Amino acid sequence: MTRTENPLRRGLADDRTIDPCAVVIFGASGDLTKRKLMPGLYNLAVSGSLSGGVAVVGVARREKSTEDFRNEMRGAISKFSRRQPIDEAVWSDFARRVSYVSGTFEDTTTYERLAQHLEELDKERGTAGSRLFYLAVPSAEFGTIAGMLREAKLVRPPVRSGGGPWTRMVIEKPFGHDLVSARALNDTIASVFDESQVFRIDHYLGKETVQNLLVFRFANSLFEPLWNREHVDHVQISVAEDIGVEGRGKFYEATGVARDIVENHLMQLLCLTAMEPPISLSADSVRDEKVKVLRSLRPMAPTQVPDNVIRGQYARGFVRGDEVPGYRGEPDVAPTSRVETYLAMRVFVDNWRWGGVPFYVRAGKRLARRVTEIAVTFKKVPHGLFRAPDGGITPNVLAMRIQPDEGIALRFISKEPGQQTILRGVAMDFRYGAVFGSNTPEAYERLLLDAMRGEATLFTRRDEVEEQWAYMDHVFAAWAREGNTPPPLYAAGSWGPEPADDLLARDGRRWRRP
Amino acid sequence: MSSRDGVPLLTIPPGPPTSAILARLEREVRELWVGLPGELPKSRVCMMNLVVAVTSRAIADRYTTVVDEVTATLPSCAIIVALESAAPTRPLDGSATAVCTPGSARAVCSERIRLDASGSVCARVASAVEALIAPEVPTTLVWLGPVHADDEVFTSMAGSAQRVILDSEYTSAASLLELARWSSEEEGRPAFADMAWTRIAPWQDLCARFFDDPRTEHAGAITRVTIHQASEAGAPLGSEGALLLGWLANRLGWRPERTGGALRVRRADGQDVQLQVGAVPRPEGVAPMALASLRVESSTGGVALMGTIDRELASGAEMSGKTPDADVLTWRLDVSGQAVIEQRVRLQANKGARVLERTLHRPMFDATLVGAVQFAEHFFEDGGVVR
Repeated sequence: MTRTENPLRRGLADDRTIDPCAVVIFGASGDLTKRKLMPGLYNLAVSGSLSGGVAVVGVARREKSTEDFRNEMRGAISKFSRRQPIDEAVWSDFARRVSYVSGTFEDTTTYERLAQHLEELDKERGTAGSRLFYLAVPSAEFGTIAGMLREAKLVRPPVRSGGGPWTRMVIEKPFGHDLVSARALNDTIASVFDESQVFRIDHYLGKETVQNLLVFRFANSLFEPLWNREHVDHVQISVAEDIGVEGRGKFYEATGVARDIVENHLMQLLCLTAMEPPISLSADSVRDEKVKVLRSLRPMAPTQVPDNVIRGQYARGFVRGDEVPGYRGEPDVAPTSRVETYLAMRVFVDNWRWGGVPFYVRAGKRLARRVTEIAVTFKKVPHGLFRAPDGGITPNVLAMRIQPDEGIALRFISKEPGQQTILRGVAMDFRYGAVFGSNTPEAYERLLLDAMRGEATLFTRRDEVEEQWAYMDHVFAAWAREGNTPPPLYAAGSWGPEPADDLLARDGRRWRRP
Repeated sequence: MSSRDGVPLLTIPPGPPTSAILARLEREVRELWVGLPGELPKSRVCMMNLVVAVTSRAIADRYTTVVDEVTATLPSCAIIVALESAAPTRPLDGSATAVCTPGSARAVCSERIRLDASGSVCARVASAVEALIAPEVPTTLVWLGPVHADDEVFTSMAGSAQRVILDSEYTSAASLLELARWSSEEEGRPAFADMAWTRIAPWQDLCARFFDDPRTEHAGAITRVTIHQASEAGAPLGSEGALLLGWLANRLGWRPERTGGALRVRRADGQDVQLQVGAVPRPEGVAPMALASLRVESSTGGVALMGTIDRELASGAEMSGKTPDADVLTWRLDVSGQAVIEQRVRLQANKGARVLERTLHRPMFDATLVGAVQFAEHFFEDGGVVR
């Protein structure tokens, strides 16, 4: 999209324009709207990032007035916004821009009323005909809503050059439950929206520390020369949660950790770790490189899956000192459920840079700690020059902590002061919170802003999603062949099932205890 | 603050040699990081050296709170220097303190060093600071006194910094111009920054919004700019107003002209731009000559645009447990034939610590500020234009 450049924007801290637009949230009564979207939009208003011509329209089934909706949203913002207390001056201005349209998503009159309301907003609030449709609804409803929007003539073709009103759609995972369903969903969306208009949210990509992965790798000359098979022994990526399914038993029974975390968040972290430098930071340049990683993943034949993929399901145990039930004891979970709440995999990226380097990835619920990290373990020194009575020289490890206590730690070997040469592993530890303070924007703030600006770098593209599913489908196919084999149990509060430890032990390695 | 008053630089101060005092300070700094039994472990974090030079011990005492607030979010090696060059010479005095923010497992700590110098000892302070700063991290000098480019204390302290920050609203526009000239005279000199420039950043962003696509052409067709500042009528144009006008002029390619001594401003296409500056009453607690309003008028292709930013002037203090009482700006865009768009935006808190923190977060070299200062000089030269 080419535009006339505003000369006053050059040199400003924020030199990107936020177009006036109407943000239309389908599923406005839902949890995501209350916990993330509205607090995110309000926070953007507080920071002055929203332009004057931005309006927010909630659409949901429940009958309620705009006034009731505003009150409800104020309550949600009071509870979930990182900025407390509510700034009355900003809220009163923001609230004037919030409105509500009730109706079912299958009813044409809902969209007729919405269209009329949006036209009024164009006139009264200067939203300039641009629409950001945010589908905070189950993916089963994406097709219905997209089709109805088209029927109501609410979808403009993509803007190819120059400015002008635009239409974009933001959707939330899950984008299908396997490759076939993901393709079908993408096809449905593609029948209404051009791919350039579709913004698929993986909120992990909005996290500051995930964005910093690219900065860390490509703005520092120190590490990139070491970032390959010559120097890296293996990589571990962990997405560990200490919570259980938290009342989402029904959802989890249909997904499991493979579909909830591994197929999307964990794969994205793997891509950002393994990708080649993009030619620019444009959306397609970055996403092209991520897709190359996904296409380089060594496919697993069904017979190889048991040796490379370990499932688990949490049993009763203790987390942070509290006794917690097993997965099968959670509400809405079948007492004989075989759904996995833990997954560990050994993955190979078959390309020039990473040939032969194992990537061990794991994700699980009810593990000992909540931690997400990427740890790169470098190869040992080729010759043991020092006599090391305490067990030899441990390899250097670079650990990038995504959450909590975001930061980067580098472990290296040092001599203990004294007459003898005693070697000790020490760490250089950089903590984001300590250096930059803890009041960083939430992932949804960045992603909402980017969607309004039309910047798609932090959103997943259709081919990325499909490649992720294509890889995981090998695993699902093998599990289907296994039939009724229940996943091994692990005690809540542990680091997962024993076979997961064996997965690394076979290679002479072990999981980190992050 | 300077040695310009003829104080000989080689006067030997009474008392122990400065190097001995520094050795004591270095020992104190080392001891800060030795954990004591039962004490929360401390992590020494240092993103930069923050050297703050003020003109008296009393100001140094007051500014210590500001520095502590800043280092709580930007952990630094902070060195606060009181330079009383007109006072009788006394030995250099100093102390070192760890300023910690409790964390879950470890306290995150900055070190704060205080140096008091008077008389001829002021000339030795730069070398003392040089010995105390942390290596491998950038050094910023916050100079809160008037800037004189021939002041050896200033030049020697600034010479070891990568950036010098001042606050022209509280010192003088002349200091800003002097610093800008000195900074650009020779390659390798530190970049400069102005806290007044930081304070007008939200105004710049909101002003730019008037001309975002599809109204960009209006930026080249501005006919009149009116600003008001919080001051008495007849007061000189303040830094914030002059820098805002300088920024607009620089960005839009306006040219200053003097006709019979009076300043005229012409657009790139040769047309006149009317500049008007007025005064509004200054409420208690509001900085003198703070920006109060901006109105920009433009007309092109038969479409008139008027953008206004009005500030509800407040003290900027944060009320405990309540919404911060920082100022609110009302942004309003009126384009003929279109709906009027209005928006209220909260200015970030105007407290000294927050403004300094935001200034420190800005890029080290700011070409836009350099350009704005060059143009603002014409407004400063024009003298008391406030009516």
